[in-house]
Amino acid sequence: MGNSISKVMVKMFGYREMKILMLGLDNAGKTTILYKLKLNKIKTSAPTVGFNVETVSFRNVKFNMWDVGGQDRLRPLWRHYFPATTALIFVVDSHDIKRLNEAKEELYSIISDKEMEDVVLLVLANKQDLKDAMSPHEISEYLDFKQHLKNQLWCVIGSNALTGQGLVEGLSWITNNTKSNNKKKTSDAT
Amino acid sequence: MDGGFAASKFESTVKAQNKGRTLYLASKSPSVPNLNEAFQSDVRPRISPGRGQSQLNVLSVTEELTGSSVIDLYGDEEDEQDEQGDEDEGENQEDEGTDGLASDNPRSFTASPSVSAPAGNISSRDLSHYDRYGFKKHNSHISQEEYHAWWDDYSRYCVRRKRKWQDLLEKSGLVSVNGVPDRFPPRSEKLKRYVRKGIPAEWRGQAWWYFARGQEKLNKNKGVYDKLLAAASERSGKASGRDLEVIERDLHRTFPENIHFQRQPNDTEEPLMIQSLRRVLVAFSVYNPKIGYCQSMNFLAGLLLLFLDEERTFWMLVIITSRYLPGVHNVNLEGVNVDQGVLMLCVKEYLPDFWPKIVPKQHARNNEFLYKLPPITLCTASWFMSCFVGVVPIETTLRIWDCLFYEESHILFKMSLSMLKICEQDIAAARQNNRALRSRTLSKDDEDIEIFQAIQTTPKKLLDPQQIFDRILFKRRFSLNNLNQEEIDRCRKYVTSQRLKLKNYADIMGNRPSANENAKRDIKMGPEFVESALSSEIYGFRRSLTAAHWNNSIKEKVRQIRRK
Repeated sequence: MGNSISKVMVKMFGYREMKILMLGLDNAGKTTILYKLKLNKIKTSAPTVGFNVETVSFRNVKFNMWDVGGQDRLRPLWRHYFPATTALIFVVDSHDIKRLNEAKEELYSIISDKEMEDVVLLVLANKQDLKDAMSPHEISEYLDFKQHLKNQLWCVIGSNALTGQGLVEGLSWITNNTKSNNKKKTSDAT
Repeated sequence: MDGGFAASKFESTVKAQNKGRTLYLASKSPSVPNLNEAFQSDVRPRISPGRGQSQLNVLSVTEELTGSSVIDLYGDEEDEQDEQGDEDEGENQEDEGTDGLASDNPRSFTASPSVSAPAGNISSRDLSHYDRYGFKKHNSHISQEEYHAWWDDYSRYCVRRKRKWQDLLEKSGLVSVNGVPDRFPPRSEKLKRYVRKGIPAEWRGQAWWYFARGQEKLNKNKGVYDKLLAAASERSGKASGRDLEVIERDLHRTFPENIHFQRQPNDTEEPLMIQSLRRVLVAFSVYNPKIGYCQSMNFLAGLLLLFLDEERTFWMLVIITSRYLPGVHNVNLEGVNVDQGVLMLCVKEYLPDFWPKIVPKQHARNNEFLYKLPPITLCTASWFMSCFVGVVPIETTLRIWDCLFYEESHILFKMSLSMLKICEQDIAAARQNNRALRSRTLSKDDEDIEIFQAIQTTPKKLLDPQQIFDRILFKRRFSLNNLNQEEIDRCRKYVTSQRLKLKNYADIMGNRPSANENAKRDIKMGPEFVESALSSEIYGFRRSLTAAHWNNSIKEKVRQIRRK
């Protein structure tokens, strides 16, 4: 019954729901982004050991956003959350150039997973407000998607979690690029 | 390169520590005049005397400390008030209250010594926003009004409990030094009950140290902490460079809302608390490379530092990570996985209605969930790793810690089960209140989100420890009472062996996709595979005949009627 209602909603209003996984190295700003989107507030954030989940509504889409703890040794725990993800937001600290390679390796190891094959990938080049931060373009070059990602939709957007710059652009990019995926998902569900 | 930077920072803080220590020794001798002045000019010019006193203790590595915490302090406070001419009249009442006289104005508690102690150097802030441990009272889940409404009652409760503790100690012939006892009565049912109802806040450090047998550990390892610090600064972060980097990143994200961990606006140096935290965590990563540094240990050490000096904090961290949570912080996370497996078995046994909501049917058969842990465990794992620090409000956390050190780790399982029980009730209540929700069946996804949101936010609202302690956790006639340490130890062994068996079987069958450590978790295992790997060993909980079921409150009601 629930399914039929949401199906009607989708038809009439284009109302959709999607599961979004937000990953990235520790201290990249994932939790700050989540609460900026949810509450439009900056929460002084402590390292996330487990996860935070919030629903964020934007246009006619309800995003279920999962923000998962960052330290490398906790990363194996992420794997529980791969199934049924519509989009992956990978947050990069554009200022932490030393760890960019680590971030790249992490990202590639995530998207090489079978469960992540159909996922649209948004990279948020966060902390653009900091001096010496790499630009989204530079980060995109560094991550080398053109070379490696043949079948996946991807996009790199510069962001600043403190002001919210780039976040809405990111969500609308996801919304505009997931219609087909979502259709497939709803038909699976019924 | 970053390691080098961290190391040099580290060295300078070691120096600062030594400075602190000599000063502390000086303070031991009453013949040294104007200690406070000396301290002020030497180390932290703008620090208040009261704060200085306790910080000295925090920094010192001497043994005979008694009142060594930030919140300690009724003894010290009295002197301090004279010197400072403290503006808060309420504090006097508060001292009296805790000395046994009922306080007429419990709200005066809100301006308790811990907050007023650092008042000298944190004058720019409105201290009424901070509780007695320096944490912010209100947050996005609890408003200031809610906090005060609760604190009015709870502070009265604390005064009553402290008086009872004082009676108990007197009867046992134990004396307290500077108002803080250094020994506690022998273990007994009565003492257990007292601990469950909360240890007086200003005795906590000492009590935890005593119940966890910290002194025993320290006596066996005299001087080890200093050697570790020296080794850490020598090594300049080569071997543990990675840990050092992670520690540095987390230092300033540990209790950013606690006043003791905050840098003051015109501060050039980092807060002493942060320096201590760095030393403890770095020393630990050298002491136990198997663990190194794992996120969540910053919270454990941070909270301990509010109640104990640095060296004791270090040894308590050693005790927590080895005795109470063995393997939980290890690099391979096996301890976490084992404990979560145990918790899942407990949920299946004690929360049978909740169980099917968190574990899909196909995984619930033949113990597959012990290997493929259900998603909910990512959340519950963090409860264990940080022993509920940051998961529940501070007073509730501290009550859990009281029990943890007295009753050992099974309390964490009981607490988790109680928490899940409350979440379950919350979800049901929300459905009841929301007609739209009631009238339609939710999709699986929505249900999941509902559960996860409840598990994430419900604990944060547990401002009042009584809400979970009296009403659920230690409620009489509650089957959870059978869940004792012995049961948990047995269950841990069982889960460990089951997981090991499955892993070995997978290895033998060549089912391991790669040598990659992470990939191991992803072994594709169908139910048949699990079935053939594990015999039909099913874990059996010990049940007593008298145990009533959760919610089976008829007997309770009958008793209530009788009482009336």
